[in-house]
Amino acid sequence: MASFPSVEWFDDVRDIFNNEESFRGGGGGQCNCVAGIKVGKHVFVLTFEGFECTDAQKASLRDLDEVDFYMDMGALEWQAMLENIRKNGHADLGYTLNTLDLDRTEGLATSKHGDQYREDLFFRYNQTFQYFFDASARIKTEFG
Amino acid sequence: MAKAVKAAAKAVKSPHADAVRKAAKSPMLEIPEPKLNWMNNSRQWGVRVKPGKKGLTLGSLNVGIYGEIPMEWPDQTRNPRGAVGRKGMPPVGYMLRSKAEVWADSAADLYEEAIQRRWAPATDVPWHTVKPLSQELERAICQVSTELSQYANVEIEVISSWQHQMAYGYHEVKQYLATAGFDAARHYEVFRKRALINGGGLGLEGPGQVNRMILESRGGWTEAVVYLVLVRGLFAQTIVRYLEQYASNEAERFIYQNVLQDKARLLTYGVDHLKFAIAHGEDRKQVIATLLAIGDGLFIRDFNDPVLREALAIIFGGSIEGARRTGMDVYHDMMRSFMSTHLEYCRWLDVPRRVPERLAQYAPQA
Repeated sequence: MASFPSVEWFDDVRDIFNNEESFRGGGGGQCNCVAGIKVGKHVFVLTFEGFECTDAQKASLRDLDEVDFYMDMGALEWQAMLENIRKNGHADLGYTLNTLDLDRTEGLATSKHGDQYREDLFFRYNQTFQYFFDASARIKTEFG
Repeated sequence: MAKAVKAAAKAVKSPHADAVRKAAKSPMLEIPEPKLNWMNNSRQWGVRVKPGKKGLTLGSLNVGIYGEIPMEWPDQTRNPRGAVGRKGMPPVGYMLRSKAEVWADSAADLYEEAIQRRWAPATDVPWHTVKPLSQELERAICQVSTELSQYANVEIEVISSWQHQMAYGYHEVKQYLATAGFDAARHYEVFRKRALINGGGLGLEGPGQVNRMILESRGGWTEAVVYLVLVRGLFAQTIVRYLEQYASNEAERFIYQNVLQDKARLLTYGVDHLKFAIAHGEDRKQVIATLLAIGDGLFIRDFNDPVLREALAIIFGGSIEGARRTGMDVYHDMMRSFMSTHLEYCRWLDVPRRVPERLAQYAPQA
C-alpha cells in the first residue's frame, strides 16, 4: 500500500491513469503540461505528455517557479479529497478540482509566475486532472 | 485512341459503360496526351514531417517555407499558405489580412486540443442520472440553460461572421475558430437538452444587450474578441464553474466540467490574441480599455435584469427559500469571482481598467 504523498503513490496512480482507455475520450484527451502538487510542505512535480502522465518527481519549493501551475492544499485537505474519491469511485460534487478551487480563498490552482496563459492550463485540461485523481480510487492509500 | 481509354472502357461495368465504349470507337473523340507540367509547381518539395509524441500535429507542419507566416498577407485568394498561386484568380475580398488582427501563437495547439477533447452530448452525458427535482429548482435550471444556450448561439454567429473574413495565410486561426464554433454549437445543444429532459422546458429569453454588443462589433475581430472573451466569455465561464459546484446530478456535473474545458480554450485563444495584438499595435491597449468602458454600460443593463440572478440564486440555494438564505450570497460571491478574474486578465494584458460604480462592489479591494 503506497503512502500519500510519495513518488510511489503517484507512480501507482500513473500506472492506472496511463492504461485506462476511457480517460482518453468523453472530454479527456492529450495533455501537455508540467503541474506541481503541494501537500503542506511536500512538493511533487507531475509531467503530462500526450495521453500519459510520464513522470512524477519529488521536488522543492523552488521548483514551483518552473511549473505551469501548481495545486496547493494542506495534507488534511488532500486526504479528505482522496478519501471522498475512494468512497465514491470518483470525486463527488463537493470535492471536484473545480469546487475545491472555488471554495478556497487563494484557489486550488495557482502559479508563481502569474502567466495567465500557463495558469489556464488547469481549466483547459481540467477533466484530465480530474480523471488522474479519480484513478486513485482504485488503489489503497495510507496517509502518513 | 489511347490505350488507357480502351482498357478503361473494357473494364468498366457501370451503367454508362456502353456509352463510353461507343464514344471511344467514334473517330471524333480526341484524347490529349497529358502534359503533367503542373508537377514542377511546388515552392518547396521533399518535405518529410515526422509525427512526434503528440502525433502529426498542425503546428508541426510549419517547417521550411510552410512555416513562414508573414505579418501581412496581401493574397486575396483561397490559395493555401505555401502553395503556388494561380495567375488571374479573382480576389475573394478578405478583410482581415494582417497577422496582428487575428493571430494567436496557441491557435494550432488549441485546434488539436479541441479535436482531441470533443465530446458528444447525445451519448457521453450520463442522462440517466437526471432525476425529478422540485418545480422551482427545475424552472431555475431551465431558465439558466435557456440563457446559456442563447450565449452559445451568439458565439456561433460571431465566430462564423468573422472567420470567413480572415485570409488563408493564417489558417491555424481559421481552423481553430472552426472548432470553437463547433464547441459553441455543442453548448447550444447540451443546454437545450438539459432544459428539455426533466419535465421542464425553455424559459424566458435573456435581455440580450451584451449579445447585441458582441454581434454588432464592427471595428474588427480584435474588438469582437474583447467582448466575446474578456466580458461574456469570462462571465459564462464563471457561471459554469459555479453551476458545477451546485450540480443536481452526475449529468449536470459532466456537462459543466466539459463546457468549462471548451470555454477555457476560447479564453486562451482570446487572451493570446489580445496579447499579440497589443504587442503589434501602439495604441491597442487604450483601444481595448475604451471598448471595455463602452461595454460596461451594456453589461450593467443585462446585469440589472433580475431573471438570471434569481434563477442562479435558486440553483445555489436549492429552492426559493434557499435562495433567500444562502443562494444570493453565493451569487454575489460568483460576481466577485468574475470581476476578480476579469481584472486579473486585464492586468496581465496591461490594459488600464476603471471599474464602473455599479460593478465596483464586486471588485477586489486594493
